[in-house]
Amino acid sequence: MSALSAEEIERIVAAALTGDRAAESRMLEALRPGVLAVLRFGAFHRWIDQEDLTQETLHIVVERVRARTIDDPRKVFAFAAATARNLALNAARKMLRQQTVVDSELVDELAQNLETEQNDLSDSDDKHLAQAVAALLEELPTERDRQMLIRFYLDGTDKQQLCRDLGLSPKHFDRVLMRARTRLRAIIERRAPHLALVPRVIAILLPLAMSFTFLVRHFGSW
Amino acid sequence: MKSLDRSSFEEQARLVSRYVAGDLSRSERGEFEAWLVASPELAAEVEMERRLRRGIASAARRGWLPRQAPVDTGRERRWQIAIAASAVLSLGIVLSLVVPHSETTVPGKRLFADAGEQRIASTRTVRLGSVRGTGGVPDVSIVLTEAPSELVIEPDVVVLTCPDGAIEIECTGGSAPKTPQYAEYEMDLVKRHGATLAWRSSRQLPVGRTQLSFTLHEPGSYDAGDYDLIVRGHSPDHAEVVARFWLRVSAQ
Repeated sequence: MSALSAEEIERIVAAALTGDRAAESRMLEALRPGVLAVLRFGAFHRWIDQEDLTQETLHIVVERVRARTIDDPRKVFAFAAATARNLALNAARKMLRQQTVVDSELVDELAQNLETEQNDLSDSDDKHLAQAVAALLEELPTERDRQMLIRFYLDGTDKQQLCRDLGLSPKHFDRVLMRARTRLRAIIERRAPHLALVPRVIAILLPLAMSFTFLVRHFGSW
Repeated sequence: MKSLDRSSFEEQARLVSRYVAGDLSRSERGEFEAWLVASPELAAEVEMERRLRRGIASAARRGWLPRQAPVDTGRERRWQIAIAASAVLSLGIVLSLVVPHSETTVPGKRLFADAGEQRIASTRTVRLGSVRGTGGVPDVSIVLTEAPSELVIEPDVVVLTCPDGAIEIECTGGSAPKTPQYAEYEMDLVKRHGATLAWRSSRQLPVGRTQLSFTLHEPGSYDAGDYDLIVRGHSPDHAEVVARFWLRVSAQ
């Protein structure tokens, strides 16, 4: 799906809004990475099950599209984002309420019988990623850019402060960050392509599974 | 969303870093997230931003990042560049005479990674999330005969709050929560049998607001058995257990 542009997705959603079921499936496929990204990077992303909430969000979106209460594809995007955010907020509130009593004997007992969530990167992948970032930093043309990235990402120094300290314009700052992401993607694809591929594979397979579920539910067959 | 054209995309792409850091205002975030849903390309940018943040933290933890004093700007820099260029040139000439000519250096695959790989040969890093599933297995297991020399535990447990300490998705004025709930965090290793304290970390501030990293040296020197890894948050007048994990040390 990563090849689709925003304009193409807008056309797909517009077709889905007319009741085209094939377009509806493509819409689910197209919207999924973005909905997942909203859930992954929202304020409480660490306290929610992102995959579950993505599925739930897309269910709500598709029901709304079928109900024809939205007529503009761009409103569908905004609706999907707002739905994802609200579901995340509710899930996080529930989780944080539980966490406030983590000191109680009962919760401690329960906690001892729980296992950790699956991490999205193994130790080996984490090491590959660290190597890719080290290579990226080595390849940067200036020490200033290198220090900018390290101080921004590691020390949490804010943009205004860094621009002042390093004599950068805000536009130059943005350009360094964008170039760093592009370069990191290229390094990852060369050194550990599976790290770049995983989100794409999931982005393709899960919508297919969802489409299958919808079709079976509504038409009784694939 | 006003427009889905290329320049609007680039405008949003400039916000990626602030979005991931939680620094966008309410209206900026609403617009950005609608774009995020509409554009897999922007979602990929966000994903790569996440990888970059994590990769830098991981490389720093492994000692692979060059840390230097902030770079000075202005007139002195020209002298520094000239001196550095001379030094590099001299070093290049010396190396070209000393290093065998049959070997070549692969760009981007030099000092950091090679040195780092040796340094972390017997380090195991474990990330523990605050959302845990159900099941009866330990969060971390170590076999004494194969124990690493260091066990690095990175619990993802720091809650960000508003300046007034409130836990909200959005603070007054529309900003995102940015303050760690506790000023300092520490980890205890408590043996379940007898409830004895086996190890306590020094207290630490979260790096990049939320990242904690505790290093248990020579985990193979501990007795076999089940342990609790307890993460405690400390503020000047309060302390609270914020997470508890299960470590099992097995003889074989």
